Amino acid sequence: MADVKLTIAGRPYDVHCADGEEAQLIRLAAVVDEKARAMPGVTEVRQLLFAALMLADETQEARTKVEKAEPQSDSLRAAVALAESREAAARDELKAAVSREQAALKELEMARRNAQAAASSSNPAHDRALLQIADRIETLASKVEQLP
Amino acid sequence: MELDLDESSLAIGRIERALSRIEKALADRASRPATAVAAPAADQAALKAEVAAVIGELDLLIAEATRG
Repeated sequence: MADVKLTIAGRPYDVHCADGEEAQLIRLAAVVDEKARAMPGVTEVRQLLFAALMLADETQEARTKVEKAEPQSDSLRAAVALAESREAAARDELKAAVSREQAALKELEMARRNAQAAASSSNPAHDRALLQIADRIETLASKVEQLP
Repeated sequence: MELDLDESSLAIGRIERALSRIEKALADRASRPATAVAAPAADQAALKAEVAAVIGELDLLIAEATRG
């Protein structure tokens, strides 16, 4: 146990508290003392009474604020959950699109090989289109990598 | 620009690598802790539209290549 000397409304008090809690006790006493001194010219008992009433008022006000804030945090949590589920759905959709694109690419590769076997030279228009598609998919990859 | 067969294979290689990058980016996003910040809806819609457009182009190219 630790011994702490406090002064509230001009009167010294010897108070015991658990080891390590001295600083907190001194801070609390300073709050009570400040409230008590806000009522000069009245008896010490009245100073302490007003300090207690003011602190009770502040406590009640703080409690009301917390109660009012709780529904807001519920709405915030619901909004975050909704945003998360939408993001997951968008990600799944994009993944499915990538799979479709890969399947299409495989098909294209097979068709290209078949065409290659049929003709000795490739179609320059197809090659140009393929090059443009490569450019666009690379741009898409950069965009997906930069998604927040 | 004229491409010979080797260059068209190179283009397909580029497409495959870009698709792998997309897959990796999506897998990384899925493994990251969820955040409340999502990409703007307009960006996501534009991205989806571009994916659909590229798939459409690929389908067209496949159909043409198949016909010869």
